[in-house]
Amino acid sequence: MYFQDLILTLQNHWAKLGCIVTQGYDTEVGAGTMAPYTFLRALGPEPWNVAYVQPSRRPADGRFGENPNRLFQHHQFQVILKPAPKNVQQLYLDSIRAFGIDPLEHDIRFVEDDWESPTLGASGLGWEVWCDGMEITQFTYFQKCGGYDCKPVAAELTYGLERIAMYLQGVDSLYDIEWVKGVKYREVFHENEVEMSQYAQRDSDAEQLEMLFKSYETECKRLIVEKQLPLPAYDFALKCSHTFNLLDARGAISVTDRAGYIKRVRDNAALCAEGYLKMRQKLDWPLCKTGWAVGEQLPMHEGKPASDMWKTISFEKKEKEAPRG
Amino acid sequence: MAELLFELGSEELPARFVVPALDDIEKNFREQCAALNITFAEVKRFGTPRRLALLVTGVAEKTDDVTKEVQGPSVRAAFEADGKTPKTPAIKFAESVKLPVDQLKRVTTPKGEYLVANVEEKGRRTFELLPDVLNVCVRKINFAKQMRWGDVEQSFGRPLQWIVALLGSEVVPVTFSDVKSGRTTFGHRFLAPAAITIDTPGGYEAALEKAHVVADLTKRRAMLVERVASAAKKAGGTVLTDEALVDQVLNLVELPNPVVGTFEARHLDLPPEVLIQEMKSHQRYFTLTDAAGKVLPKFIAVSNTPVKDEALSVRGYERVLRSRLADGRFFFDEDRKSSLHSRLAKLERRSWIDKLGSMAEKSHRIQSLASYLAKAVGKANLVTTVERAALLCKADLQTGMVGEFPELQGVMGREYALHDKEPGDVALAIFEHYLPRGAGDGLPTQDAGALIGLADRLDSLCGLFGIGKKPTGAKDDFALRRAAITFIRIVTGRGYRFSLSAAIDQALAQLEPKFTDVKKKPTDAPLKEQVLEFIRGRLESTWRETHRPDVVDAVLAVGFDDLVAAQLRLEAISKYVGQSDFAPLAATFKRVANIVGKEAKDVTRQPVDGARLIAAVEKTLFSQVSTIDAAVMAAVKVDDYVGALAKVVPLKPFVDAFFDGVMVISDDAALKENRVRLLMQIAALFGTVADFSKIQAPE
Repeated sequence: MYFQDLILTLQNHWAKLGCIVTQGYDTEVGAGTMAPYTFLRALGPEPWNVAYVQPSRRPADGRFGENPNRLFQHHQFQVILKPAPKNVQQLYLDSIRAFGIDPLEHDIRFVEDDWESPTLGASGLGWEVWCDGMEITQFTYFQKCGGYDCKPVAAELTYGLERIAMYLQGVDSLYDIEWVKGVKYREVFHENEVEMSQYAQRDSDAEQLEMLFKSYETECKRLIVEKQLPLPAYDFALKCSHTFNLLDARGAISVTDRAGYIKRVRDNAALCAEGYLKMRQKLDWPLCKTGWAVGEQLPMHEGKPASDMWKTISFEKKEKEAPRG
Repeated sequence: MAELLFELGSEELPARFVVPALDDIEKNFREQCAALNITFAEVKRFGTPRRLALLVTGVAEKTDDVTKEVQGPSVRAAFEADGKTPKTPAIKFAESVKLPVDQLKRVTTPKGEYLVANVEEKGRRTFELLPDVLNVCVRKINFAKQMRWGDVEQSFGRPLQWIVALLGSEVVPVTFSDVKSGRTTFGHRFLAPAAITIDTPGGYEAALEKAHVVADLTKRRAMLVERVASAAKKAGGTVLTDEALVDQVLNLVELPNPVVGTFEARHLDLPPEVLIQEMKSHQRYFTLTDAAGKVLPKFIAVSNTPVKDEALSVRGYERVLRSRLADGRFFFDEDRKSSLHSRLAKLERRSWIDKLGSMAEKSHRIQSLASYLAKAVGKANLVTTVERAALLCKADLQTGMVGEFPELQGVMGREYALHDKEPGDVALAIFEHYLPRGAGDGLPTQDAGALIGLADRLDSLCGLFGIGKKPTGAKDDFALRRAAITFIRIVTGRGYRFSLSAAIDQALAQLEPKFTDVKKKPTDAPLKEQVLEFIRGRLESTWRETHRPDVVDAVLAVGFDDLVAAQLRLEAISKYVGQSDFAPLAATFKRVANIVGKEAKDVTRQPVDGARLIAAVEKTLFSQVSTIDAAVMAAVKVDDYVGALAKVVPLKPFVDAFFDGVMVISDDAALKENRVRLLMQIAALFGTVADFSKIQAPE
C-alpha cells in the first residue's frame, strides 16, 4: 500500500463513520493534539468527531536526513471522537483492517501507555497499540485539557503514518517508503529534513528566537485578556510552543530555565482554553444541538451525564479565585 | 447452595492492575458477606487484561434467622406510676417489635430499668443482598490510576464494557456507569469475537477456554512458563529467569503463544545487560542463553494470538528489535568516544536535588566520606581505589545509554570504566556501589563498592534530612527508608566496625554549606539526632521481623553506635531469652534497674567501698561481682556477648539473696549510697549487653 493510499484509506474509513475530515492545522505544531481541532475541541460538552493528517514538527528529532527512523517533521493521522463511542476499540480495529493489518495474522495488543503534556496542561490514559511488538498507534482517553476536566471524554487515535507505511511496505528506512508508484519519501522530504535540521540545530538565531517567544507570548495574552479572541490567541500560544522547541533544539535553554519556559507556554494554553470555553458558552454550545455522534453511544444507567458539569460552571468565579500571573 | 459468578469485563487493563484489583474485589466481597452473614464455601479468582472475576461456591440461598435483643424505652417512661399500666412509649415499642406489652421483658442497666424485646430477625434471600454487595465490590477497587470514559461520571481502570453477575442461573442486577449486569461475556478478542451466554457459573471457565481465554491466573502462568521453556528448548537455549517479566507478560495476554525470533549476532558484543534490557523493557521479550549462561542472538516474544503465519509476525518482532538494537549500538559507540572522567565536568550541570547541588558535588562528597569510612573500618589500603571509583561512580548518568535505560546505571559505568582502562577493582566498585538494587540482588562483594555505597546513602540521608525532606507517614519520595535499611545491611553484612555518630558528623559537616538557607523550627531536634533516630527506627523494624520486640528494645536501649556490636548483642541475648531460667533473671535485674533508676542520681560515682559493707549477703555479692567484672569486660572487648552473659547470669542468686537480706534504702546515707553503688556496678555489667529492664518477664 502506498503512503498516499494509507492516508486515503484512513480518511475514508473515518469519514464513512461520520467524522468530518479537515486538513492539518497550518501553524507549526509538535503533534496533532496541539491543533485546535483537538486541544480546544476536546473541551466543553459539545460533540466533535474529526480526522486529519497533521504534519508535526519536532526540531530536536531532526537527524539531517541520515537516520532511517527519525524525522524533523513526521505525519500523524489524528482522529478525535467525542464522546468516545462505546465501541471505539472496534472502530479502531476496523480501521487497521482497512489498510491491511488483519489481527488474525498479526499480534495486536493494547499496552498501557498514559500520556501527559506539561506544555498543554493535558493528560489522558490509554494504550500504545502494538502490531507484532511495534507501536503503530497512540490511543488515549482524554482526562484533562488546559487544566479542565474533559467531560465528556474524547478518544484520541494517533496513527504514526511513516511507521505504519514502513511496516506495510516492508522497508527499513522511512526514506524508502513509496508515496505513490515510483516516488519515494526521499524525493519528497529528504531535503526538507536536511535543511530543517541544519536550521533548527545549527543555524537558528537564538537571540531572535527569544525575542519572538516574548512577542508571541505578549500577543497571546493581549488577544485573550484585552480582545477576548481565544482562537487567534491560541495561534500565538502554538507559536510560543514551537519557538520554545526551536530554542531547545538549539541547546539554548538551560535545565533551570526549561521549567520556566514550559510554565509560560502552559499558562497561555490554559488562558486560551478558558477563553474558548467562555466563547462556546456564550454561543450556547451550538454543536450540542446537532445530535452528532459516531459509533455506539450508550445511555447512562447510573448517575448523571458527566457533561452536565458545564451547565453550572462559572468561569468568572474561577478567574477571581485563581489569578494567573 | 448456589454458585455465584461475578465478572467485570473491561477494555485492556494495564498488566500491573489485574492482581491488585482482584485482591480488592475479593477482600470487599468477604468483608461484606461477613457483615451480612452470607456464608459460602470457596472463592476462586480469574483475571486477564480484559476481565476480573470471582467464582464463589457454596453460597447459602438465604442468611440464617437471628434473634436480637432490642432495647426500648425506660420502664419509668413507659408505664404509669404503678409500674403496670402502659403509657404511649410502651405501646409504641410493643407495636414496633410486634409483641403484646405483657411479653416485653425488663432489664436493669446502669441507667435504670429498661424494656427489651427479643426480636426474631428472619434470614434474607442472598439474591436480594447481592446487588449491594457486588456494587461495593466494583466501586471499591482501588486502581493505581482511574479514568472516566464516554459521558460517565464514574471511573475505573479502563472503560468498563460488561458485567456478568449470576447466582445460579439468575442474573443479579448490578449497575455501574453505563453498564448493566447480564449473562453475556466475551472470549478472545480476535479468535472468538462473538458474545457468549453463560447459563450458570459452573460453565464459565470452560466456556472461556473454548473461546481461547485461559482465565485462571495460576493455570495461565504455568502454561506461559511451560510454553516459553519448551519454545526455548526447541530454539536450543534456556530462558533467562525473570519472574517480574513473567508476571507482566502473564497479564498482557489471555492466551500465551510464545514465538522465537533472532537478531544479528554482531550485536552480541554489546554488554549482556544492554541486550537484556533492550529486549525486555520496551518489548517484553524473554532472553535466551546457552548452557554457559551466555546470551544467544535469539529471543522469545509472547503473542496474545496464535497467528495464521508465525513467520510473518516474527518478522515484525525482529524488525522492532533490530531498530532498538541499532539505537543501543549507537549509544554504546557514541558513549565510548568520551571517557567517564571527561564527563565529570558535565555532572556539574546535572542537578541532583535542588538545594543539595549538582551530581558533581555529590560525587565529591561521596568520595571524601567513602575515604573516611575506608580508614575508619581499617581499610586504609583501599583509599586510592575507593577515591577513584567514588569520583567516577555517577559519571555514567551523563551517557546516552543510561539516559535511555536508567536501570543500567552502574552497569554502564563498569563497562565504560573498563573501556577507559580504569583498574578492574575501580570498575567493579562503580557497579557494586548501587548494590543491592532490589530484592534479587546480593550485597557488594568487594569493600570498595560497599564503602562507596555506604557513603552515597549516608550522604543522601543526611542531605535530605538537612533540607527538611525526611519521610513522613507513607510518603518517602527519595526512598530513604530503603537507603537506611540497605546501609545497615551492608555494615552488618560486611562486619564494618566504626562509630555511626562520628560518620554522621562527617557527612553533615561537608553538607553544612547547603543548609544555610534552610529554615529550622526551634522544635526540631539536631540533625544528627534525627538521622540517628531514623536509623534506629529502621534497625528496630528490621530486627522485629525476626526477634522479640522487647529484646530489640533492650538491645537498642544501650546503644547502636557500633552497628555490628549491636547486632551481636541482639543475637547473644536472643539465645538466652528462650531459656527457662531467663525470665527470673530478667525480673531480678528489673529490681536492680528500678532502684538504680530512682536512686543513682543522688549518688556520686565512686567505686563500692568494700569496707563499708556489713551484711554477709552484700559482702558475698560484692566479691562475686568483683570476681567476674574484669572477665565480663574482657569478653565484651572481643565481642563475646554470649560469654559476657554467661558470666553475669550466675549473679542472680546472689542478687536475690542481697535483696532478701538487706534494705537498700537505709537511714544511714553512707550505707545506702554504698549499696546503690554496688547495684550500679551490677547494672553496668548487664548493660554491656542490653537494658534488661525492658525485657517483658512473664508473670
